[in-house]
Amino acid sequence: MEFNTQLLYAHDQALLAIMIFVIMLGMGASLTPDDFRAVIRKPRGVFIGFLSQFGLMPLIAFTLATLLNFPPAFAIALILIGSLPGGTTSNMFTYFARGSVALSISMTTASTIMALFMMPILLKIYTGGFTAQISASMQATGTEADFIIPTMNIISSLILVLVPVAMGMFIRQKWRDWAKTAEDTAGFVGILVILYLLLTAFTRHGHLFLQTPIGVYIGAIGLGLAGFFFGYWFSRLLGVYPLFQRAISLETGIQNGPVSFAIILLSFSEPVQSQMIWLAILYSTFIVITSSVITLRYRKNGKRDWDIYKNTAIHNRLFGEDYVTQYPKGFLPKRLLSDPSQGTQPSQKRF
Amino acid sequence: MKHRIKTENLALLYQKAAERFGDLPAFAIRESALEWKPVSYSSLYEQGLNLATGLIELGVKARDHVGLFGDNRFEWMLSDYGVQLSGAADVPRGRDVTDDELFYIIDHAGIEVTFVETEELQNRVLKLRSRLPALREIILLDPKAQAQPGVKKLQELCDLGAALRAKGDKRAEKRIAGIKPDDLFTLIYTSGTTGTPKGVMLTHSNMVSQIRNLPGYHNCTDRVLSVLPIWHIFERVIEMYTLSFGGCTFYSSISTLGEDMRNVEPTFMASAPRLWEKLHERIIKGIKASHPVRQILFHIAYFLAKHYKNSEYFITDKYLKMKHQPKWIHALLLPLQVLRWIIVLPWYGFFNAAVLERIRLGAGGSLKATISGGGALPIHIDKFFNYVGIPVLEGYGMTETSPVISVRSINNLVVGTVGPPIPETEVRIIEPETGEVLYPNNKFPDDGLSQRGEIWIKGPQVMKGYYKNPELTQRTFNDGWLRTGDLGVITHNHCLKILGRSKSTIVLSSGENVEPEPIEMRLQQSQFIDQCMVVGQDKKYLSVLIVPGLQEFRMSGFKERTMEELVVNPEANKIIREEIRKLTSQSNGFKRYEQIKDFRMLPVTFEVGKELTNLYKIKRHVVEKKFNHVIDELFTNGAIKNN
Repeated sequence: MEFNTQLLYAHDQALLAIMIFVIMLGMGASLTPDDFRAVIRKPRGVFIGFLSQFGLMPLIAFTLATLLNFPPAFAIALILIGSLPGGTTSNMFTYFARGSVALSISMTTASTIMALFMMPILLKIYTGGFTAQISASMQATGTEADFIIPTMNIISSLILVLVPVAMGMFIRQKWRDWAKTAEDTAGFVGILVILYLLLTAFTRHGHLFLQTPIGVYIGAIGLGLAGFFFGYWFSRLLGVYPLFQRAISLETGIQNGPVSFAIILLSFSEPVQSQMIWLAILYSTFIVITSSVITLRYRKNGKRDWDIYKNTAIHNRLFGEDYVTQYPKGFLPKRLLSDPSQGTQPSQKRF
Repeated sequence: MKHRIKTENLALLYQKAAERFGDLPAFAIRESALEWKPVSYSSLYEQGLNLATGLIELGVKARDHVGLFGDNRFEWMLSDYGVQLSGAADVPRGRDVTDDELFYIIDHAGIEVTFVETEELQNRVLKLRSRLPALREIILLDPKAQAQPGVKKLQELCDLGAALRAKGDKRAEKRIAGIKPDDLFTLIYTSGTTGTPKGVMLTHSNMVSQIRNLPGYHNCTDRVLSVLPIWHIFERVIEMYTLSFGGCTFYSSISTLGEDMRNVEPTFMASAPRLWEKLHERIIKGIKASHPVRQILFHIAYFLAKHYKNSEYFITDKYLKMKHQPKWIHALLLPLQVLRWIIVLPWYGFFNAAVLERIRLGAGGSLKATISGGGALPIHIDKFFNYVGIPVLEGYGMTETSPVISVRSINNLVVGTVGPPIPETEVRIIEPETGEVLYPNNKFPDDGLSQRGEIWIKGPQVMKGYYKNPELTQRTFNDGWLRTGDLGVITHNHCLKILGRSKSTIVLSSGENVEPEPIEMRLQQSQFIDQCMVVGQDKKYLSVLIVPGLQEFRMSGFKERTMEELVVNPEANKIIREEIRKLTSQSNGFKRYEQIKDFRMLPVTFEVGKELTNLYKIKRHVVEKKFNHVIDELFTNGAIKNN
């Protein structure tokens, strides 16, 4: 396929860089050292999430890319996105999907650190075949070099994006009010830039939309959806409570989009860079829509167990830690019978 | 609705609720911000049976009237349980009852046994006792209070009943079985906004019909925060309703409300408009004090929400529809509205999540719905809460209809109306002068929709009558229809809109009829005006009495420390004059004869129990009497002052 347009001009790249900075700053501003401690205190959920994020998601990406017969650059981008850590967007969606925000934050925190080790390994495992294709086509056009995944560059760009995160955390410690503003602004800026990129891509390179094979669209949309689906049922299979199930599902499907932009811009060059950026834009756009839809669905489905969880938790808050809420017979769904607070309150456990 | 318990009388409701909800908390009593004491359904019922047996032992007969004077506390609810379970009816009134009213009520209702909440009330009743030969027993509710000789404590009576029941006393159970649907459960004396106290007779079937017909989907995970006076019919219907689905009522108070909302995270709440105004004020203050970026974000969010919701209301046909709208206009506008809805949707989605959710969290974040009743909710407050996503369901009713006549539901939320009449309730709009039926009447287009007149109603919630006052009862009913005395109109989406109270209508000497409430609500939008009352009966023009907002004046740089100093300050007067001119101008939709020509600032605040009813409605006759000289002065000077 012909795909040799320069997708981003220098000023777009600058804009993207600012967006990444602001969003990562906002992410840091929403984190506290306590969130890191929480990971260690309650490792089970985070571990299941870890398996789902770094076990299932890259595999889904690889499978989709292979099945849909992706052009190699797109395939590498999809696998790269599949191996990313989670971002703060998932925390917000989890909140509205009536999931456990605490777990979502813990997973974001843990996966951001773990990505430093996991991403190079995962890319090595899954991208081999596709890099060989690129190398072959490069050699066919007379270039002597082999195409290899720039592992060290990826690690250093990951470390680079952690700088604003650390700055955000620092701001949070020092000036709480500012931190809240930074959080809100970050989300808003993110949407604005994505829309700007889409709009410019549309006006400048309208043909891009037509040139992109339909399979690529399916892959960009399907990655997130499959992540939600498998995250949901995988954790269900392991007997996770609905509250955490929804958090794991959303955290699995929603990846940290801005990080993918940073890595692609800093570690890859043409001829693959533009294609990879294009896929990242497509993923980031569609994931907002699909996760909104999924969130609304979870919100509706989760109403019952959320109401029970909330009521039970508030009883413990106001009536004392030892208070046990006794719901009438037949009211509690089977999964919550042994613990209506869904594992958040030891006193509510009954066998 | 399937979670609701439906029974024939309230005693059976209490019994069934205890059976079904057992150990779940029915009530929670606040001890400190994060320390509340739960009382379970079964224990409340047990204690209620004990008390009922104690009351029977004391000589309370079925269908007796038992006094119950006091305000919100658990022992009040327990007393109500005791009275219902002994087959009697209670006669409630708050602590702010005057001695005259106290005497009148005890005497008129023929009360032999009465509960009093506090030592103070106890002493007042004791003082009146010599003039009340029928009054035999006084029972003190407050466990910490000191009982005078001859006064029993609530606990004594419960213990007495418990001992009797332990020996096999089943008299309470027999009484429960003997309650007829037509028996009174309460006899509420209202002074309302006009006249002397009237005893409203409400039956078990009245209240039971409300439980059956109120719209709403609740279950036993619901938390209800209670701030209204406990004896008021509006609070009582919410309480009974809550018992019917197994929710827990948390007793809060005005002073701790903000904190309690965040800690209890209520899912349901009922209150008078005044509370929503206060809450609105506090939210706006919070926003004004926040970071400038956040202020901008809020304004963007509110702007988007407004457009989003208005399109939604249009598309779902849930907007205030006062006139008939031809189908083709609707068809023409629909695509435009849908387009606006689609354009705004993603932006609204984001700002709703990021900004408006924080506002909602200030009210606990879990509110599924709130009900406003007991007075008209100012339209800007109504819109504000509905736009930010806290659904306010305004309802309409009166003590005489126990009390709900109509209420908006989540699925039928037309801002600006009080919703459609609840099931089994018929509403008529009557021309007040001629008595002609305006709605429903096929003589008029659309069967009389949008015709204005007095509201008459018929339904299972309508009272039996006024106690020992057949003459008044007869005047209030007309051929089985209850005349509410309120003016209203049925909108084109079949919701009731209240236009005012026909009794408060001001007739100017020119013959023009003016409804003062809309003007007053408009004026109260000014930050400088705390309260106000429009006057001008039989005069050439309208004037207004203003209670200025001292705090606001001080915040805008005024040095005055007292109301007395403020009302004579010419600058302050100038500001008020300007506010009145601005708010009630003809460009704001007020007619020429609705213009306010003059005003006086009052150096006092209207207070509950004096100038205001418990639900913060102005008692017009009280204000008129009290500030008679001010009103006279307003109109005798003749010339319009320009200071």
